[in-house]
Amino acid sequence: MAVPDKNGPVPTAPHADPRGDPFPRTQFAMPARPPTFLRRDRLAEHLDEALLTPLTVVGGAAGAGKTMLVADWAAALDGPVAWLTARAADKGCGTFWACLLQALRLAGVAPPIEVDAPAEAGHVDDALLTRLAVELSARDAPVVVVIDEYDRARDPEIADQLESVLRYAGRGMRLVLVTRTEPLLPLHRYRAAGAVTEIRNDELAFTSGEAAALLTLHGLHLPADDVGALVERTRGWAAGLRLSALAAQGEPDPQTYLKEFEADRTTIADFLVAEVLKRQRPETQDLLLRISILERCCPDLANALTERTDAGLILTGLHRENAFVEYLGHAWFRLHPLFGEILRARLRVCAPGLEAELHRRAAHWLRGCGSLDETLGHAAAAGDWECAAGAVVGDLAIGEIFTGLRSDDLSELFSHMGPEPRSPATDLVRAARELARCEVERGLCRLERAAQGLAGKNGPGEDDAPEVAAAQLSRALLEALAARLTGSPARAELAARAAERLRCEVPGRLLDAHPELTALLLTHLGATRLWAGRFGDARAALTTVVDSRRAASTAQAREECLGHLALIDYLQGWPDRAERKARAAVMTGDRRGCPLEPGPGLGYLVLAAVAVDRDELDRAQAFLDAAADASHPMPDPVVQAGRAIVTGRVLLARGETQAALEAVERTVVADVASPWAEAHTASVAAAAHLAEGRPETAAKLLEEEPGHEPLCLVGAAQAELAAGRPGPAVALLDRVRPQGRPGPAVTVRAALVRAQAAGASGDFATQRRLVAQALREARRERLRRPFHEAGPWLRPLLGTVPLSALAEGWLTPGPPSPGCPARPGERSPLPVVEELSGRERDVLRRLAEMMSTEQIAADLCVSVNTVKTHLKSAYRKLAVNRRHDAVHRARELGLL
Amino acid sequence: MRYEIRVDGEMTEMLGKAFPELDYVVMSGQTVLFGLVVDEAHLFGLLARCQSLGLRVLEMRQAPE
Repeated sequence: MAVPDKNGPVPTAPHADPRGDPFPRTQFAMPARPPTFLRRDRLAEHLDEALLTPLTVVGGAAGAGKTMLVADWAAALDGPVAWLTARAADKGCGTFWACLLQALRLAGVAPPIEVDAPAEAGHVDDALLTRLAVELSARDAPVVVVIDEYDRARDPEIADQLESVLRYAGRGMRLVLVTRTEPLLPLHRYRAAGAVTEIRNDELAFTSGEAAALLTLHGLHLPADDVGALVERTRGWAAGLRLSALAAQGEPDPQTYLKEFEADRTTIADFLVAEVLKRQRPETQDLLLRISILERCCPDLANALTERTDAGLILTGLHRENAFVEYLGHAWFRLHPLFGEILRARLRVCAPGLEAELHRRAAHWLRGCGSLDETLGHAAAAGDWECAAGAVVGDLAIGEIFTGLRSDDLSELFSHMGPEPRSPATDLVRAARELARCEVERGLCRLERAAQGLAGKNGPGEDDAPEVAAAQLSRALLEALAARLTGSPARAELAARAAERLRCEVPGRLLDAHPELTALLLTHLGATRLWAGRFGDARAALTTVVDSRRAASTAQAREECLGHLALIDYLQGWPDRAERKARAAVMTGDRRGCPLEPGPGLGYLVLAAVAVDRDELDRAQAFLDAAADASHPMPDPVVQAGRAIVTGRVLLARGETQAALEAVERTVVADVASPWAEAHTASVAAAAHLAEGRPETAAKLLEEEPGHEPLCLVGAAQAELAAGRPGPAVALLDRVRPQGRPGPAVTVRAALVRAQAAGASGDFATQRRLVAQALREARRERLRRPFHEAGPWLRPLLGTVPLSALAEGWLTPGPPSPGCPARPGERSPLPVVEELSGRERDVLRRLAEMMSTEQIAADLCVSVNTVKTHLKSAYRKLAVNRRHDAVHRARELGLL
Repeated sequence: MRYEIRVDGEMTEMLGKAFPELDYVVMSGQTVLFGLVVDEAHLFGLLARCQSLGLRVLEMRQAPE
């Protein structure tokens, strides 16, 4: 078709939108000015001041001529201009900044490579904004950033973020907001500092002189009085003037016609649009009404709506003759927003029921062109859920329901889907939404129904073969997630194998466009393998995700994988490695905002577990609380079990044995039992029994375990020893060695039990050697907990040479170093003290709150004598004689 | 909450359809839209709709129940 070419510069078209749509988008295109555009020098001159102030606000009613004014001004600038038209559909600041970054990139202002696009619709990383601002502030010449229709950017955070970027970018950026409503930026402050250029509605209004010039451009020559009356009637409103000029153009006596208009009392826009419309040929009227449902359109799409073939000619003609069809470049047009809005209202009245049908046609046409967002919008407006779900599934975008920028939008969109549509695609989407909310039972039912629906469509070589393959691959992802949530490794492996086969059958470009699908699938597979205790296989799957190409859409999967890898390290007894990975997981998670995956806070759980091993109980509790903060209604079995175990260990370390027993008693529902979860649960329970003086119960508990978990063997040996049977204890420990390569968390404990056994049989040389070995292994990892658990026999030993040297500085206080005062902020290493019991702590805590013995007794509902007993015992353990000292010492040790 | 929104100009029936949830009366060059407004979000939505249809809002007030 003929594309307008001499109507000002052809807008630059982007190659891809930040969410991967292959379309040129209206969002980044500076609209071309129509031939009837009137440049008004007073406004252009005022706008030139925008180059001197950081912020410019062009605010006015719809149709006041804001966009065209700024577009005309910006097109004449020498420096780079980034143009972004905000969209109502882009909720959330994450999407907004992703688009703004893209606009900057298209303007040739490349943000630094390390500025990753935001990964979540509702969140943007502060560090990203800072880096962007720093990058902009380093520019010699400013980049002019125009945000058109800024009133559509609803998220109130956007204003704050823009403000901070603007402040830090300094002279590197000039922000121009084109908006119908006043932006939420602190304008008063900008005004006071003279840092804002404001063009408001009154200034945008046409003067009589300007109106006369505009009418002349439309071929109308009116006496000054008539022009003045027209300006009065329209209040200088640009759209009103232009519409009345268009309406009058076709009249034999424009002057009289405009007089009639002046006398009419109908609302201006409505009246004028009707007048302009009725002057068009019927085909044109029909086309305008029909394309009013589109945010933008191209001739082909318009033809699909009108079922004719003349859209190209009509659109080009309309653009040439008036200002209400705007050209966006590359054969795309849009209606002026005001014009479109009124036409849409008119369409509803003139052809009730047609609107849904038009949306349906638009959805089908757009789906064929691969523009997912727009397809979904129209399919939803038409209530055509099979088309919407089919587009998501066929596009391999099902993973975006769980992660990435679009997940909120997709959830919102499909929340309106009723129970009626029954295609495999709608069932898959429903299953995905239910599994995302961890409604496993219902999700599984849907998944089953989708599988049955798909089973009939497996004939190879059919036209829809890629579509079916995409649906099957989507199903495999959901199967893997279901397997993870139900703790079913067989199911996960089956899904993974199916996925591997199907990957060859779907178009490669779809797989490339959706890295999150593969990443999520491998995450679920790895998590399920981890549950089953197959650490090597789990590590393989999880590492693939961590090592894969970084993309915003896989950030969440990567974080989850890091959390799981950290857990594997912890379970194998390597706290340092576990901590490093868990920190990385937590940091990426914090950068993204709130996690919504089924394994939330796993990183925090591992950090808590490591802190317990190091006897940093307050830290452990804080991490545990953080993990619970990030909690999901029902996390997957790995997290459930992990939380129970870590909670149990913290309570155990605090001496609250009964509570520890209760914490690990809760059963985790899963298809298959997890060897490590059972072993750790049993180990916590056994330790609790042991602490309460029931070695036989502890031994029996661990005997029931399959017995190949090193942790259980060590625990059992401890119990045997406590029961006075050193022989069987050593025999149990001998079985630890050959099992894989357990890390220090296991070997240190084993060495200490051996040492205790050696001591019990009088072999003190071996005992010292073993303690020395344990100290050496534990020192690097700062594993303090095993030494505290070992029992009273160890304490005197640590004071002797050469063991004291090995323990000093991290386990026991180092030697006083004169002239080197303790650095502030660095916590002194905790000396070995006998743990306070839960009750003793309760009493101490109240003591610290300046309560009297009587008050404490009343508060705890015990007798005064009991409180005194607890106090005495606490004094002894803390090696103090007075209340004041007890509180002071307990604080020093971090016990309060 | 019942609200009245007074806009400049006489609205046609066609434009009235753009506010299906409200009734309206036309009087001496102005139109009064009135009816139940669900919440503040609805209220601001109505204002935005007026704006996008090029209507000039002259007055808006909460009407007695």
